[in-house]
Amino acid sequence: MDESHARKFQKDLNAGLVALVLLGVLSRSAEDLYGYEIAKQLQKANEGEPLFKEGTVYPVLRALSANGLLTSRIVPSYSGPPRRYYRITAEGRAVLADWSGIWRQTRDFVDRFVEGGDE
Amino acid sequence: MNRAPRSIDEYLRQLREVLQGADPALIQDALYDAEEYLRAECASHPEKSEADVLELIASTYGAPEEVAAAYRDTEAKVNAALRPVIPRATESPNPLRRFFGVFSDSRAYLSLFYMLLTLVTGIIYFTVVVTGLSLSAGLAILIIGFPFFLAFIGIARVLALGEGRLLEAITGERMPRRPVHPGARPGFGPAGILTRVGEMLKDPRTWTTLAYLLLMLPVGIFYFVVAITGISIGVALIAGPFLVMAQHLGWDFNDGISVMQPAVLAAPLIAPFTIALGVLILTLLMHAARGIGRAQVVLARALLVKPGM
Repeated sequence: MDESHARKFQKDLNAGLVALVLLGVLSRSAEDLYGYEIAKQLQKANEGEPLFKEGTVYPVLRALSANGLLTSRIVPSYSGPPRRYYRITAEGRAVLADWSGIWRQTRDFVDRFVEGGDE
Repeated sequence: MNRAPRSIDEYLRQLREVLQGADPALIQDALYDAEEYLRAECASHPEKSEADVLELIASTYGAPEEVAAAYRDTEAKVNAALRPVIPRATESPNPLRRFFGVFSDSRAYLSLFYMLLTLVTGIIYFTVVVTGLSLSAGLAILIIGFPFFLAFIGIARVLALGEGRLLEAITGERMPRRPVHPGARPGFGPAGILTRVGEMLKDPRTWTTLAYLLLMLPVGIFYFVVAITGISIGVALIAGPFLVMAQHLGWDFNDGISVMQPAVLAAPLIAPFTIALGVLILTLLMHAARGIGRAQVVLARALLVKPGM
């Protein structure tokens, strides 16, 4: 019971945050990344129980790409299907700056109530 | 809930099962992404067997059910964002408005353009396929025959993907956004070139793709003739009375423009009917174009998108 509440809450939180995190990862990366690499980077950065399934990264990447926030190109790979490499666009960076501001504001606001308030 | 998959093929099969009924192109993309991930995961853990890797998949990549839900949700959101609902004249209860509303439908114009374009693409596709097949057969006795054939199939697939993208741009119906990959055999790691070629030759889609590309020449000629005939008759009927009237007013057309029998068109009682007939023909043509666009998507889905997906 408790666990399913926790999972539902996490899922609701992830709805917008995965897109924000993906934009962040791609804006910091010097080179283009493909889905598997991104998923692994995120998993490595987070210790313990994963916050979201790596499978959810792919459809969000595709959606961001369809909205012009990312561009992509296909590169053949020896180990499997050709990989799709993503890169952030100028529009993507603008959106990222925007969203980061919203995120900071939201985080500070939530913390004021949840973290017992700072002094 | 399915039992936990033990191999990549099994995972992909389960994912296909839970996605049943979704857009075929979405399914193709989802399977493609999953395959990219699963194969990369297996390749980065060469010490583990495929079954061992798959055992952990539900907690990393996600079980097929979760992944399917993620694609459905994202697709719904993106579509809602990209295609806002706008009231369209084509859905008006008034039959007359609905009939003429086709002129405000950008898809109808795009489809009409597609009908004209198919003559060009049809000739290109046909030439590529006929040249490719006959050169492959002719070069078969030489060592370059086989590589040539493979390159030719590759080109045919790129053309098929391009045709799909074109149709999506014109009709808004979702078509695959990635080429299909024949994939590796389970348990053997990356497939050898011969296995892949074998798979490709067994894949009925390879051959239906060639059939589609060949078919586009006669179909393209038909579309082109219908479009050109409709446009010229419609425009001529509308413009005719005005031209005749202008001639009567002393306008001189001696520089080569010929006008239909003035005796008929010039009669003031007949002119409105000629114009109305022209408008009717153009409107019917627009409706036909929109219908042809949709029919073409059905045909392309049947022949270009992997069957059973």
